[in-house]
Amino acid sequence: MGLVAEDGIDDLTARLAMAQVALADEIRRSRALNRIAEALGAGGDAETLVQIVVDGGVELTGAQFGAFFYNVVDATGESFMLYSLAGAPRAAFENFPMPRKTEVFAPTFDGLGVVRSEDITQDPRYGHNTPRRGMPEGHLPVRSYLAVPVITREGSVLGGLFFGHPEVARFDARAESVMVGLAAQAAVAIESVRSREAAQVELDQRRDTEERLKFALDSGRLGSWELDVETRDYLASDICKANYGRRPDEDFGFADLVASVHPGDRERMSAAIEDAIRHGAEYDIEYRVRIPGGETRWVHARGRAAQTADHGGARRMAGVSLDVTDRKRAEERQKLLVNELNHRVKNTLVSVQSIASQTLRTTDSPEAFREAFEGRLMALSHTHNLLTEQNWEGASLREIFDFELEAFAARERIDFDYIRDLQLSPKSTVALGMAVHELATNALKYGALSTPQGRVQVVWALEPASEPPVLRLTWTESGGPPVVPPTRHGFGARLLEKGLARELSAQVNLAYDSLGLVCTMRLPIRALEP
Amino acid sequence: MKPLTALKVLVVEDEALVSMLVEDMLSDLGCVVVGPAAELEEALRLAGSADIDAALLDVNLGGRPIFPVADALKERGVPFAFASGYGEAGLSEGHKGATVLQKPFREADLRRVLEGLAAQVV
Repeated sequence: MGLVAEDGIDDLTARLAMAQVALADEIRRSRALNRIAEALGAGGDAETLVQIVVDGGVELTGAQFGAFFYNVVDATGESFMLYSLAGAPRAAFENFPMPRKTEVFAPTFDGLGVVRSEDITQDPRYGHNTPRRGMPEGHLPVRSYLAVPVITREGSVLGGLFFGHPEVARFDARAESVMVGLAAQAAVAIESVRSREAAQVELDQRRDTEERLKFALDSGRLGSWELDVETRDYLASDICKANYGRRPDEDFGFADLVASVHPGDRERMSAAIEDAIRHGAEYDIEYRVRIPGGETRWVHARGRAAQTADHGGARRMAGVSLDVTDRKRAEERQKLLVNELNHRVKNTLVSVQSIASQTLRTTDSPEAFREAFEGRLMALSHTHNLLTEQNWEGASLREIFDFELEAFAARERIDFDYIRDLQLSPKSTVALGMAVHELATNALKYGALSTPQGRVQVVWALEPASEPPVLRLTWTESGGPPVVPPTRHGFGARLLEKGLARELSAQVNLAYDSLGLVCTMRLPIRALEP
Repeated sequence: MKPLTALKVLVVEDEALVSMLVEDMLSDLGCVVVGPAAELEEALRLAGSADIDAALLDVNLGGRPIFPVADALKERGVPFAFASGYGEAGLSEGHKGATVLQKPFREADLRRVLEGLAAQVV
């Protein structure tokens, strides 16, 4: 009994010692596991997490080497990037090519399961990687081998944890099950880091996109805005506010927006917004706005209501706005110009009609009609050329004489005497152009310019002491044949004494002086100037 | 209805050649020309007080609209027609529907318009 008992005691003592060793081992492992789990839970970047797992794995399994290979599929096939390792310098892995999915590694990277080998050099899968056979040169001297795939809950293989030892049979079933648990934790930790990083990348990209959008909007002077359909909260960018004459720091809500819109356009604008919200119509509208200070400007607004399925209607509306005042004013100017052009064309046609009609009344033959009519038509045409050259802003008095007399051979016999040239409106340019033509034609046919010795003197100056100011212009002929007053009142005389006088509020006098014709015009400056 | 002959017509037209043509046409039709007035002030004065039966008004008087003259004539009950290159498009809101003689026009067109105006003379 005693012997038995002693034997039993020895046995018990031995078993107790073993149990204590096992317990200590278990406590050590469990503490290590806790520490690793805590470290993983603390987060950090992927590299730190993987290092914790690899170091922890080495500690828990008693391995000499540990490594994590990240599952990367490149364009040429599968390649596996070294992520982290323990127990061997990185250089030990840098000497040989990236591990490929050889038969040994395949089960791990394919996520098929754990590979645990007492002696991997005896494994039938080992060394089948052509052209090499057996342990590659420079390879770590691994006999005991434990490889655990790191798989997410969705089943995608993130990579594999590999542990090795130069001696055989170092990894038992416990080590395997601990590593499977650790691999699962590692998978969760890596995944959460990845999604956090992906979120950050997306955030950065979105920020970049917004920056670019803002740049584009700013360069195009485009304002942007958002409207909450229910609360009518209105959010306007700085440029959008500027379009309504507001500073960036000023409040500008939906009520302010509606109030700035010109009363005549407000109903149309509100209807367009409602249409966009209710029917998803494109919001595209131009309206006048009254900015603080009273100026009226034009804004072109475009936008769209965003539909949300859960709400059954639009919740928010967003869009851009652009100050189109310059374009609108240009359009209005163009419209005015077209109207003005039409007015001038029609009036010119009536002028031609008038010239034809009056020339017909004052000529005796078709030949005489033709000569006089064509001369007057050319005079009108000359004046238009002059005005076109000056962009229809008028011409100077001297230019009118030069243009109308250009076709006259006797133009060098016309002397000018004046101190200051005078800029005239387009309307008075046309009127005086016709008058100069009539005077010159008459001088050439009957007056001073009909003889080689005759001369014409053109003098103009402001009348002294006349208020409002009046320009006195005289056309004085000399050296021509004796002058006799015409028996019939011709077109030229009528145009000068009646038409021109009326149109320019002037007094025009034709004196048939014996030395030559003298035409005196008293032209109020206000009727001449632009 | 008053006959065209001896119809006293105020002419408001700022362009010399055009007013000369209108004068000639009116004279041919036997009318008596009052004016022509080339300036708004003169036109307003004549429209308000001159002895006239009808008026022919150029819509644009040196860049100034003729409508105050038209209003004065309306007040006096003097029938008038606009002469314009714009046609009816050139009229102000208050005068849409008024008689318009589109420039350029023939003597026959002027006669027809004047007959219309003369029919309104009481």
